Amino acid sequence: MAAETREERLVVIKEIVCDILEIEEDEVSETSLFKEDHNADSLRAIEILAALEKEFGVVINQAELPRMVNLTGVYEVVSEPAGW
Amino acid sequence: MSAVHDAGPGTTGRHRVVLTGLGVVSSIGLGVKEFLGGLREGRSGARPITVFDTEGFAHANGCEIVEFDPLDWIRTLDAQHLGRAAQFSAAAARMALEDAGLDAADLRGRRGLISIGTTDGESYDLDQLVEDELKGGAGAFDPVAARRIPAGRLSVAIAQELELADAEAVTVPTACAAGNYAIGYGFDAVRSGEADYAFCGGADAMCRKTFTGFYRLGTIAPERCQPFDADRKGILTGEGAGVLVLERLESALERGATIYAEVLGYGLNCDAHHQVAPNRASVARCMELALDNAGVKPAEVDLISAHGTGTRANDITEAGAIREVFGTPPRTVSMKSMLGHSMGAASALGAIGCALAIANRFIPPTINHVTTDPECDVDCVPNQAVEADLKVVQNNGLAFGGNNAVVLLGRYDRPEEETC
Repeated sequence: MAAETREERLVVIKEIVCDILEIEEDEVSETSLFKEDHNADSLRAIEILAALEKEFGVVINQAELPRMVNLTGVYEVVSEPAGW
Repeated sequence: MSAVHDAGPGTTGRHRVVLTGLGVVSSIGLGVKEFLGGLREGRSGARPITVFDTEGFAHANGCEIVEFDPLDWIRTLDAQHLGRAAQFSAAAARMALEDAGLDAADLRGRRGLISIGTTDGESYDLDQLVEDELKGGAGAFDPVAARRIPAGRLSVAIAQELELADAEAVTVPTACAAGNYAIGYGFDAVRSGEADYAFCGGADAMCRKTFTGFYRLGTIAPERCQPFDADRKGILTGEGAGVLVLERLESALERGATIYAEVLGYGLNCDAHHQVAPNRASVARCMELALDNAGVKPAEVDLISAHGTGTRANDITEAGAIREVFGTPPRTVSMKSMLGHSMGAASALGAIGCALAIANRFIPPTINHVTTDPECDVDCVPNQAVEADLKVVQNNGLAFGGNNAVVLLGRYDRPEEETC
């Protein structure tokens, strides 16, 4: 089932992020920072980007990485090519 | 003459080590003559990749070898039983043997070392096996291809091809600096007297896995590789093999061999600072280790063959480290501008380029160069080779994980009385 609402999509995004950063889902909020709060580095950020592209069938420019600092930022970046 | 040779471990002296044979499989030429011609004219190996399906990538240029026929070089082994990288290494070793004017039969009774560095081993075959598995399940594996996979084959294939029974064969998997590691190991073995000769270098074949990895990191240039250029956009993946014959100075002189250069020393370190980001202090330290090992002062180095990948991170970090060690750096070129990044073969091909530069008194250019990045600020000998009298040349190899290896080569001037 494709995620249809913002909440549903955020659940999917959160699963991807938590899987890659190896953290529990209750540790991350929409605004907690991947790098500062969850020890992400540039390689993890690229892993997240790649997984999102695959999941949502979009292409995300790597220039967008600096905006993808938390779940809210990720949602905004993905929403543009996805047309949400 | 054989007293030192026959002495047991611990009583061996320190020998001078020279390069007397060079074997090259590269995207700018097969064999040392073609390679030398390519370096002199600044030939580019870049072309659209054909060895794997590039559909879905916005750009896919690479420095692929297109005119290689393993049967031209591989006679003892069945080439079908060798992966592409092992074919390259065995072919380059055969070329190096012939270039050295050596007869394999004469080497068989002597102790030798074969050390070959690599990044990917036979990942090209692994790519194909995975593709087969996805299409037809694990049962679809080609058993011949599966047997080609072990990376140890890259060095063992040389021993088998040249029928060198009394040789230690090692494959050194230290990624993009592995060629220099392998040369360092051969240098120690010949210098100490443990081995009478060494075949050292590196080999890698282009594969989809590595291209994709670098592509995903955003480090593949769309068209060309521009080390130290303000507008550089990354690497081009490449492939090939470089094999160097190392032997004692005395044995080279005895048999009247051509001496390309002397191996003066090497240094290596591993900082494990980050998976992919180079560490400037550690790169500088590695160069100091090499200079110390070679007994060379920074001011004596006439040329640096840089790792020079053409990524933003490498070139700034490496140039910064060079300035840290050298103050005002000597001319610093990147052969990757021509060869792309041939991974485990890269520093072996770089070392061969350095030896050829010394012997032929020229500096290979950094091609595709438009404007030097002020943050790098090195004289990279843009676009055109220049004549130069080189006494000492440094060859850098820097790899992911902070695996660094630096080799120093020097010109060997034959004393007058020994030339008669």
